[in-house]
Formats: sequence, C-alpha cells, structure tokens
Amino acid sequence: MTVHEIERVFCPVCLAKFKFAEGWKEGDLVICPICGQKLKLARGAEGWVGERPEKGTEKEIRERSEEFARLRGYVFGDVKEEIIEGLMGKYKRFGDFYCPCRMNHTPEYQCPCKPTRGGDVEKNGRCYCWFFLKKT
Amino acid sequence: MTKKPKVYALSTCPYCKRTRRFLDEHKVAYDCIEVDLLDDDEQDKALEEVQKLTGRSSFPVVIIGDEIIVGHDEERLKKALKL
Ligand SMILES: [Zn+2]
Repeated sequence: MTVHEIERVFCPVCLAKFKFAEGWKEGDLVICPICGQKLKLARGAEGWVGERPEKGTEKEIRERSEEFARLRGYVFGDVKEEIIEGLMGKYKRFGDFYCPCRMNHTPEYQCPCKPTRGGDVEKNGRCYCWFFLKKT
Repeated sequence: MTKKPKVYALSTCPYCKRTRRFLDEHKVAYDCIEVDLLDDDEQDKALEEVQKLTGRSSFPVVIIGDEIIVGHDEERLKKALKL
C-alpha cells in the first residue's frame, strides 16, 4: 500500500514549497505561485526542487517581477527600469537579486522581498522601493 | 563657511541617484559615501554611522549642518541648502 502525500516543490528563491500540480513532470517549466520565479522541475534527494534556468540574468529578474505583479494584480512604479538596473548591480556585487534600496543581503530580501510577499503592497499601497504598486 | 554636505548612498538605489542628481544640478559640492561599494570593514563602519545618525538603515541619508534628511526629499534639501 502506498501513502499518498501531497507533493510539493521547493522554490530556491522564496525558500517556500508550493503544491505539485497533476500532470507535471521532470524538466517542465513552472512558475512559483509565491514569488513568480520560473523554475525547471527536478527531483532532488528530498523531493521536488525547482532550478533557476536563467539564474542571474536580466531576463530572469524581469520575468520574475512581471510574473509576481501578474499573480498579485500589481502594477509597476515609474522607477521600474532603475530598480531592474539596481537589482543587476546587487547580483553582480552580492550574488543575488537583493532589494536595491536596502543593505540586507539575506534570502528574505531577495526581490520580491518577504515583506512584499507577505502583503506590504496591500497594506501600504506599495513595496519599500515603490517598485510594485497596488492598482488604483 | 559650513562643512560640505555629506551623502550616504547605495549605488543600486534610484532614490539615492535622484538626490545626487538634484545636488549636482544645483551645483552643490558634497561628499558621497557609496556604502555598498565599500570594503567590509569600512562598510560596517559606515552602516554604524548611519544607524547612529538616523536610528535605522534607510538610504539616502544627507547631512547638511545639523540637518539630517533620510530619503529623497527635494523640499527639505532646498530648505536646508537655502536654494
Ligand atoms: Zn518562489
């Protein structure tokens, strides 16, 4: 007899696990519903993990932000392009896409940062950087 | 003659850039510390200074005489610089 547990996929960006949908298979490209990152499904020792197919590229952070905005129904502030440029600078110097307006280089502050993933935009109408805005 | 204004900025932050652009456009001479581009030890020191001055670590920080301005705020910059 097998026990059917809900399978989950680990996202290396937001460090959360989301539900593995029916029909998915190894190598498929899926979007993390929490942060918007595009992930390639792989089987790790501890279960499903998502890999970042375009890690560190402008394409990756642009697509992630756009997917995140789409998932949440947010729009971008007029600093969008400057923020993308700042995120590229963070990657170059600190190794990942950390919030360009802060000096916190921990996974919590990977863009979209934890406060933003946790609903800061609903609360304040915007994220810390005015990158993601609530639709008015 | 009062001391030159001092700016603590992050090289990646759009608001820091706006503050610097504003000062440049108004031909204000200032010293700028790009905190994220410093070496580890100097970076720690600069972050400590910012924390001591403002009680947090938000950027940009502009120091004009006794005035400490956190964030890009053209009205406060104008007032402090008598522009
Ligand atoms: Zn994620």
